[in-house]
Amino acid sequence: MANESRSQTKKNPVAGFFGALGKDLKEIGLTFKEGDWKTRISFVIFGFGSIFRGLWLRGAGLLAVEAFLIWFECSFGFEYLSKLGTLGTVATTKKGRTTVYGDNSFLILLFGLLALFAVLAFIYVWRLNLKVSRREQLTLKAGKKLPRNRDDWKSLFDGHFDKTIMALPVTGVFVFTVLPIVFMICVAFTNYDANHQPPSNLFTWVGLENFKNLFSFGTAGFGGTFMTVLLWTLIWALFATFIDYVLGIAVAILINMKGIRFKKLWRKILVMTIAVPQFVSLLYVSKLFASDGLINGYLLKWGWIDTAIPFWTNPTLAKITIIVVNIWIGIPYLMLIATGLLMNIPEDLYESARIDGASPWQMFRHITMPYMLFVTGPFLLTQYTGNLNNFNVIFLLTQGAPKTGNLVGGAGRTDLLITWLYKMTINDTNYRMAAVIGIMVFIVTAAISLVVYQMLPSVKDEEGFQ
Amino acid sequence: MKKKILAVLLATAMVGTMAGCGSEGGETPAPAETPAATETPAATEETPAATETPAATDTADTADFGSGEIKVWVAENVVDFTKEQIDNFSAAHPEYSGYTYVVEAVGEGDAAGNMITDVTAGADIFGFAQDQLTRLVTAGALEEVNPDYVPTVEAENAAGAVAAGKVGDTLYAYPMTADNGYFLYYDKSVISDPSTLEGIVADCEAAGKSIYVDLTGWYQVAFFFGTGCTLTYDTDDSGAFTKCNVDYASDKGLVALKEMIELASSTAFQPGSSAGDAVNYAAIIDGTWDAGTVKDVLGDNYACAKLPTFTGSDGNTYQMSGFNGCKLLGIKPQEDANKLQVCDDLALYLTSEEVQLARFEAVQWGPSNLNAQASEAVQANEALAALSEQFAFTVPQGNYPGDYWTRAESLAGDVQDSFKSASDDDLKAALEAYQADLQSYAK
Amino acid sequence: MARQTSMKKKRAVGNFFSYVLLILISLIWLFPFFGLLMQSFRSYDPAVEYGGMVDYIIPHTFSLDNYRFLFDGGTNYLRWYLNTFIIALFVSIFNTIIVLCVSYALSRMRFKGRTFLMRFWLILGMFPGFLTMICLYFLLKQVGLTQAGAVPGLILVSVASSGMGYYVCKGYFDTIPKALDEAARIDGASRARVFLTMTLPMSKPIIIYTALVAFMGPWCDYVFASYVAFGHDKSYNVAVAMQRWMVVGDYQGYFTRFCAGGVCVAVPITILFMCLQKYYVEGVTGGAVKG
Repeated sequence: MANESRSQTKKNPVAGFFGALGKDLKEIGLTFKEGDWKTRISFVIFGFGSIFRGLWLRGAGLLAVEAFLIWFECSFGFEYLSKLGTLGTVATTKKGRTTVYGDNSFLILLFGLLALFAVLAFIYVWRLNLKVSRREQLTLKAGKKLPRNRDDWKSLFDGHFDKTIMALPVTGVFVFTVLPIVFMICVAFTNYDANHQPPSNLFTWVGLENFKNLFSFGTAGFGGTFMTVLLWTLIWALFATFIDYVLGIAVAILINMKGIRFKKLWRKILVMTIAVPQFVSLLYVSKLFASDGLINGYLLKWGWIDTAIPFWTNPTLAKITIIVVNIWIGIPYLMLIATGLLMNIPEDLYESARIDGASPWQMFRHITMPYMLFVTGPFLLTQYTGNLNNFNVIFLLTQGAPKTGNLVGGAGRTDLLITWLYKMTINDTNYRMAAVIGIMVFIVTAAISLVVYQMLPSVKDEEGFQ
Repeated sequence: MKKKILAVLLATAMVGTMAGCGSEGGETPAPAETPAATETPAATEETPAATETPAATDTADTADFGSGEIKVWVAENVVDFTKEQIDNFSAAHPEYSGYTYVVEAVGEGDAAGNMITDVTAGADIFGFAQDQLTRLVTAGALEEVNPDYVPTVEAENAAGAVAAGKVGDTLYAYPMTADNGYFLYYDKSVISDPSTLEGIVADCEAAGKSIYVDLTGWYQVAFFFGTGCTLTYDTDDSGAFTKCNVDYASDKGLVALKEMIELASSTAFQPGSSAGDAVNYAAIIDGTWDAGTVKDVLGDNYACAKLPTFTGSDGNTYQMSGFNGCKLLGIKPQEDANKLQVCDDLALYLTSEEVQLARFEAVQWGPSNLNAQASEAVQANEALAALSEQFAFTVPQGNYPGDYWTRAESLAGDVQDSFKSASDDDLKAALEAYQADLQSYAK
Repeated sequence: MARQTSMKKKRAVGNFFSYVLLILISLIWLFPFFGLLMQSFRSYDPAVEYGGMVDYIIPHTFSLDNYRFLFDGGTNYLRWYLNTFIIALFVSIFNTIIVLCVSYALSRMRFKGRTFLMRFWLILGMFPGFLTMICLYFLLKQVGLTQAGAVPGLILVSVASSGMGYYVCKGYFDTIPKALDEAARIDGASRARVFLTMTLPMSKPIIIYTALVAFMGPWCDYVFASYVAFGHDKSYNVAVAMQRWMVVGDYQGYFTRFCAGGVCVAVPITILFMCLQKYYVEGVTGGAVKG
């Protein structure tokens, strides 16, 4: 989405990038040419200029970062970085009966990437350090006063308060989200699976082989299965989102109706499904619907049915049951949201409709729904993408069952992409294909979001809300 | 004061930068630094014990085995038992006094999965069911059995159990039990004659009770092998599958498949093989490990028998077959020879005659040790008697690829669903596809 | 007059059907919880009753055996419960702090790369979380926060990525008039001061909402938690430990004990949730409108 908007503002992003790069290089040259000795030494020793101009706080900061990054690269960064091309060559060997582990491809890839990021950070801080030094030099040259250390310190809580409070969250997201995601994207281009499991075995780059496998439609290829699972994922998310949405609003209206008492009690009863942890409630519900579960048991006992209803073993019925159970989970959530929003609908709209003789259903269709849809458009979108990845409901209810020989890779009829990915990771340690599926999930989610997001009226103007 | 701080800072930066340049550009310092650098992250992976031991071995004579921690993963219900036995072991081996032992409850299925995910963090000694063996060997999570102990293990244990621990000609694990098979538990008051499947199903239907039969990979062979089909895989020494011997796509296979479908179509049928989850049943095909649970439910009506016979769609009568397999105890690859020795001895001890008998006493796991098998107590056990009667009709479980179990589960799904209304031709085609898939797992 | 009574009658009939519907819905909604509670009172002692699956709801004899089993030290249930509580508590505190910081910066300050960061995080959020489990596991392992160190490890991972969940809170901050900030700044208050003494005190509902959601999350986390604990029994949280009673074959007849354990988890959380429901509604409604 970032690219999208950038290309809207600038005609040609590639030319724009190279233009900016050229300008930057020119300025770096200028910094050196026009720089005094303090600025020039800053090219090697970060923050040197600042320190010798008395601004030791920012200077020391820059220097500390340089020292840390160099220490990191020297102590083990470069070692891993250099092996990134092969992901290790030294195999594990036996010495007598003891094992001597060779290269660990996993750690090489992980730390290699980290070292790569550290190099980028180094370049960035280097550039920052040059900018700072040049700015200070020019300020002095113009006869103005430099800020004092105290001002630097104070600005961390005022002008630069954003940097202070964002530093930790951004670092956290980088280490525990960005790095792992980049790592797994790389894994999609390797042969990391059960037969290439570090530390005993090496894994290596295989190019696009895994993607070819995903789109091969032969007997052993993943193509057919992927399409089946993808289709069900999309359908499921559609049903799960919209049925819950409409029914949730309906229940909210029901409770809000004039003359209904104990409104709070009804809401509290419904809200139980949000409060009780799903691994308890859904696991219990899954047993409830089993062919030997309580529901079938009682129906049989009462003689309403002769054979158990195959809630989880018949593919179509299993899908329906999942959607129905999800209503049980979803309605309370939407009921809460709708309750708040319904209050905001101007009452006179309903009044005039009533005078025109509109039935409650007509009012619901022509007033309530359009209003709700307009207000909650973006929310529906996040609900939809959330349901695409709704792991808990599927995994706790069916674990993807019923299985069939028509699907490969251990996928079942009710598996979503996300539960299939989970099975590949946990049961088969087939990380290469899991990574490919993960990327596909991302592409599907991103594509849907992008298309729908553009169509929504209420998200265009972010500043407008303030 | 300010100047001094500056000087210090500068000095640090200079050193830092120079060191940086040195290893970046210069060739000389790099090799000297590298080994140290690579060792640091490696060492952090080890348990503290492992890093201590090399120091100990340097000065040690033969009697000193250093120190360390040995982690053992076993099923929940034998944790306490295993702890006791390990206490006995360390009392008998004062030379290993430097070692401490940790026993954790990790189910056999999870254990194998975890060992494959991260062998360095996994247990040193762990129990697992035989079907995980090749997977563990290929992933490098199993050390070979000490060659000095192989003759002992081979001599003391049943031949089938020893074969179960082998990939190619190499023994990778110590046999712990030889009861990994299944037979029939039934309710005496409901089922008059447990010898035919048709009779059992009819009795269950009449009484409104269920019969639980699992149709997934490990259990469905009871039908296929029963009609005379075969399914085995050949492996090379590394655990890679080289050849699949299968004849499911045949008339015999069709008879077996149709029998499964017929069973699954009965109103009394329920899928599953775990007694704790089964409801209102009069018959269940399950293993010895659930004997206690079944006894609790059926009480005085508890009874066991070998699996029944069934009359196939071709009119012939077949005896249900199945696998007979073992639970094994394995050691993960070790980087320290002393620790490996301790693990070897401990694993040998935990699978010895004495401990197997004690384990039988404690949790009724059927021993693989020949002497233990012959003991009176074992012979008198009802469930084990039914199992050994059934074993006459079963096939020793060899090595199967992980994909087999996954694919077989899919077949089970189809049997309970789309196959019920399929024609013979459809079923034949499905068997062809099944066979082709099974063959594709061997390369 | 006659028309009014007929209206009243009509309304009464309508209300009657509404009540019937509501009672029906309530029964459906409560039935699983009722079943869960009932099963938790069925003894697992074979001398009394049976702890596995059965085909009736109301136990023949009510007993507290399952609860006794949980708390008498035979299992580590208390330990698991405490682990989960510690994780939930710390995650709740730290997540709230981080979310507030990020939201404030993104809502009030305009800095270089702000929109890029927001877009970038939005895109990151589209990657499925399970994808990176194996990588996170090894990252944590490098710093010794798996197995015995799983509890701090789980807190770390959860807190580290919490900045990305700023949407609802930022939306709330956006509704606080900027003019208030500006006035205080003209009087010489720093950004930090404005944040701490003005914005935060006005944000009680959103703080409670954020903390509540963060607190409830860890009680359900079993996939990643079991990965990180890696077989180390003492590091399990309740979800991981109890999940085994349902799915691992070694635990036969643990069903009623699972139910009892589930009740013990559900009751305090439900009470907490009910008490703070008002704030929760405010949070989700605001979030829904803002997207």
